[in-house]
Amino acid sequence: MPTAWVTLVLVAFVLAGSAGGVNAARDRMALSGAIRGRVDVRVAQASADRRPDVGALGISPSHIPPDRRRSVVYLDPAPRAAFDTREEPRKRMDQRNESFVPHLLAIVAGTTVDFPNNDETYHNVFSLSRAKSFDLGRYAAGKSRPVRFDRPGIVRVFCDIHSHMSAFILVFAHRYFAETDDDGRYRLDNVPPGTYTVAVWNETVHGDPPKRAVTVPDGGGDVDADFTIR
Amino acid sequence: MRLFRLVLSLAVSLAGGGGALFAQALPSGPVELGDGVVRVTGAVSVAVGEHDERAFFNYTDYEHNALRIFRVSLTGTWRPTSRLSFLTELRSEDVQRVRPYALYVRVRPWKSIPLDIQAGRIPPVFGVFARRSYGTDNPLIGYPLAYQYLTSLRPNAIPATADDLLFMRGRGWQASYPVGSTTPAPGVPLVSAYRWDTGVEAHLATRYLDVSAALTAGTLSNPRVRDDNDGRHYSGRVAWKPVVGLILGVSAASGEWLNGDLKNSLGSYASKDYRQQALGLDFEYSRDYWIVRSELIASQWNIPQLSPPLITEPLRATSGFIETRYRITPRWFGAARLDGLTFSEIRGQRRFGGALKTWDAPVSRVEAGGGIYLQRNLTLRAVVQRNWRDGGRVHKRTFVSGELAYWF
Repeated sequence: MPTAWVTLVLVAFVLAGSAGGVNAARDRMALSGAIRGRVDVRVAQASADRRPDVGALGISPSHIPPDRRRSVVYLDPAPRAAFDTREEPRKRMDQRNESFVPHLLAIVAGTTVDFPNNDETYHNVFSLSRAKSFDLGRYAAGKSRPVRFDRPGIVRVFCDIHSHMSAFILVFAHRYFAETDDDGRYRLDNVPPGTYTVAVWNETVHGDPPKRAVTVPDGGGDVDADFTIR
Repeated sequence: MRLFRLVLSLAVSLAGGGGALFAQALPSGPVELGDGVVRVTGAVSVAVGEHDERAFFNYTDYEHNALRIFRVSLTGTWRPTSRLSFLTELRSEDVQRVRPYALYVRVRPWKSIPLDIQAGRIPPVFGVFARRSYGTDNPLIGYPLAYQYLTSLRPNAIPATADDLLFMRGRGWQASYPVGSTTPAPGVPLVSAYRWDTGVEAHLATRYLDVSAALTAGTLSNPRVRDDNDGRHYSGRVAWKPVVGLILGVSAASGEWLNGDLKNSLGSYASKDYRQQALGLDFEYSRDYWIVRSELIASQWNIPQLSPPLITEPLRATSGFIETRYRITPRWFGAARLDGLTFSEIRGQRRFGGALKTWDAPVSRVEAGGGIYLQRNLTLRAVVQRNWRDGGRVHKRTFVSGELAYWF
């Protein structure tokens, strides 16, 4: 578990305790800006083939290769306004063509994620992560089972039957995070004025995540922050 | 035993406290080269347990003990086009020489038809267990009796009389006969899970049916790289998948099993066919946190009737097992297997007072245990295995074994 996550959780609790009321939050939002940019991930794409299995009697169907170029950009630490509202939305991670779709999902703590099985075979979704350990068992096509994620952290999701299936769920204590789109672009809205550290999480990065300091001016407005990951 | 205690204490301490081992830090995906055209995976497992130099309940046909073995394997695929690939698995056991466990080419002739042809040292189509990936698919440490236990039959040496065979009851780990090679050597299991045969096979997969057939050089109990008797071995399996989670399969095989040199030395008996024939039924059902699997295999071997007291019937053996695995928590699982192996009866003169007796000693086995996923691809398992045998030097024996297995 990176130290950054521990820091994030601690800061979250401190700031949540000292945060002002809803009106104060609205005042701050009025002056807020946005941090936007692009994360250019220059790594080879994963193969669509399954894990080699010499015991198979034929070619197994290809699966959707995990998109390693997807990243999550977040503020570290988050501003006070991050903890003013508590949402408990629902998200979804499909099992389709023996792949988790999406391969990378960023959520706020308290979110419930549904895991529908859209294949004609069994899947067995599970995770051994400290942030959330769960095992949904084997269930057939058309069925779905939910998991609620309450602790911030990185949750690695696997299928017990198909070893080539894996996904990441990033659980944040605040709402200042964004997933990159197909072009690697992201946008963090409603960021109050101040200086922040913007960090990028990508599955190909081992060790400390790329970071840079960004200042949102008092008058608000858009601020650019681009990243390159090799 | 000391090493086993070490592994066990490691498991207990990890279960109680966790630690860095619990984080998914080990690589879990294949190594890819050339944009994924070449992919390499591997597996390492080390099983520790007691020595077994008297009962030989878990000896394999490579003379290793399945409950205390160090195994390293590397699997590689080269897929130059979407319908052509080359596959191999190189394996070493107990730091001995590296063997090509699998080495074959896979072709899909028609893009729109899910028919695949494989040629080379290929996975067996008979039954299920021998095709399973050991590290991820075997819920226990030991193997089922049908796929591992060495009967007293040998392809290169045969008994002249029924008494010769009865003398070897329960001694499949080192059988010796007067005809053929007189050097004592291990017998064969019903189906070998430790060696794959060489030949060609075809497999057609549909939503509800899997059909496969193979033509190979050896037999189920004695797979071979090179044909040694000019015989052909035919095998096939049909599996029905009526609903998701349920698989019902039926397999059959027939092949000439006696070694060519031995057969040629038999004079007038050499002109006959001496075949191993087998029939198999398999079943798998899984739901929620359970998997239940079962296989039943009946095999018979024909051998020449050389001298009285004659072995008048084909030598038959039947083996069946049922195993289950239950995932108790995301990390912990429990598993058990009930297993049996029995043989047909023959009558000797000197042995057993001329009474009917099974030609090899029937064996029963119960293996139960559990394990923990330290990481998704790092598993620690411990089992207790109890064996009963109606013959041989040792009739009962309990083994305890622990294993650490990693794959990527």
